[in-house]
Amino acid sequence: MNTIDNSVAVGRTLIAAAVASVLLAGCAAAPAAPEGASEARAKLTQLQSDPNLASRAPAAIKEADAAVRTAEQPEADRSLGDHRVYIADRKVEIATAQAQTRYLEDQRAGITADRAAAQLESRTREVDVAREATADAREENAELQRQIDALQARPTDRGLVLTLGDVLFESGRAELKPGAASNLGQLVAFLAKYPSRTVAIEGHTDSVGGDDYNLGLSQRRADSVRSHLVSRGVDAARITSMGAGESSPVAGNDTAAGRQQNRRVEVIISNPALAAL
Amino acid sequence: MFAYEHGYCVQPRLRPGSSLRAATGLAGVLVLSACASTPPAPTAQLQAAQQAITSAERAEASRHAAGELSAARAKLASANTAVQAEEMVAAGRLADESRVEAELAAARTAFVKARIVNDEMQSSTGTLIDEMQRKTGDAK
Repeated sequence: MNTIDNSVAVGRTLIAAAVASVLLAGCAAAPAAPEGASEARAKLTQLQSDPNLASRAPAAIKEADAAVRTAEQPEADRSLGDHRVYIADRKVEIATAQAQTRYLEDQRAGITADRAAAQLESRTREVDVAREATADAREENAELQRQIDALQARPTDRGLVLTLGDVLFESGRAELKPGAASNLGQLVAFLAKYPSRTVAIEGHTDSVGGDDYNLGLSQRRADSVRSHLVSRGVDAARITSMGAGESSPVAGNDTAAGRQQNRRVEVIISNPALAAL
Repeated sequence: MFAYEHGYCVQPRLRPGSSLRAATGLAGVLVLSACASTPPAPTAQLQAAQQAITSAERAEASRHAAGELSAARAKLASANTAVQAEEMVAAGRLADESRVEAELAAARTAFVKARIVNDEMQSSTGTLIDEMQRKTGDAK
């Protein structure tokens, strides 16, 4: 500043040169970049070297770079230097925020794709599970049918009806014949395989003999079958037994063949709900 | 660099025909602006700052970048105070600082909003996957 004062005192000749020298001094005097400029530069470098961000806000990064370069110029005026650093710092922050925003927006396609993939995978799995369940049910049904065939039972409205002929009993007797166990073996196996099914055992006779006698005999025969099943491990609570006497013939009692058909024990196996197979 | 930075005024008197004309003319141009008796207010910079603040407010910066927004307002208030004091250089710088601060508020607001959207998308996808796994898991 003294330089100018002196110059004015000495003469105008020197004014221009003096002013120029001061101006030059203003440019050269400050030896280093303003405080904070290097921090702004470091932040910008970090942004520019982040592979996720560097290319995502080109305009803002270019602007920030220009502002940082301005801030890095040596500056004697402290407040101007601070101002430039302030501007540079905020421009770097703006560029960073914009790049981060853009990065998030670009990730949305991936999130949407993940969602679609998850939906697809889930539907595929649902279909697979349903198909498996269907296959399982079909297999179950086929197995049941095989069992029913083996049992020689016939499906009716009341359930599966298995008719045991008079092979089980001697005439007029209620004790099972020694060979009856093999006849009832299939039934025992079936009931063991399908534990939710219950059975009703009904004894029937032909019309030979008195009603009371026939009723009693049919009841005792039904009880015999029940006892046998219980002795083979079927829960007694699953079995009911009753004698129907001669009241429900399935054939005429006027022929020997008809009477033989009427002497029988029927085992009615309940139809459970399909799900409880 | 700039005449106003030197805090010193030289009033050159130009005389036609003077051999010093060119040199003093240069110096005069350099210092003239700083020595005007009533320097003009940095109207355009102040307006730009106000516009940036308004735009950040509209983007709900008060919710997502409250610190930056209030800093921008404070800078603008300081700039207006500097205008009253006829410190126009300081006023212009403060206005510029207010504007970048408001722009930063807007940029950070946009970032926070984008993150909220992504988080929601991600969590709804996660919920979907969980639900589906539970559904198919039960069926098995």
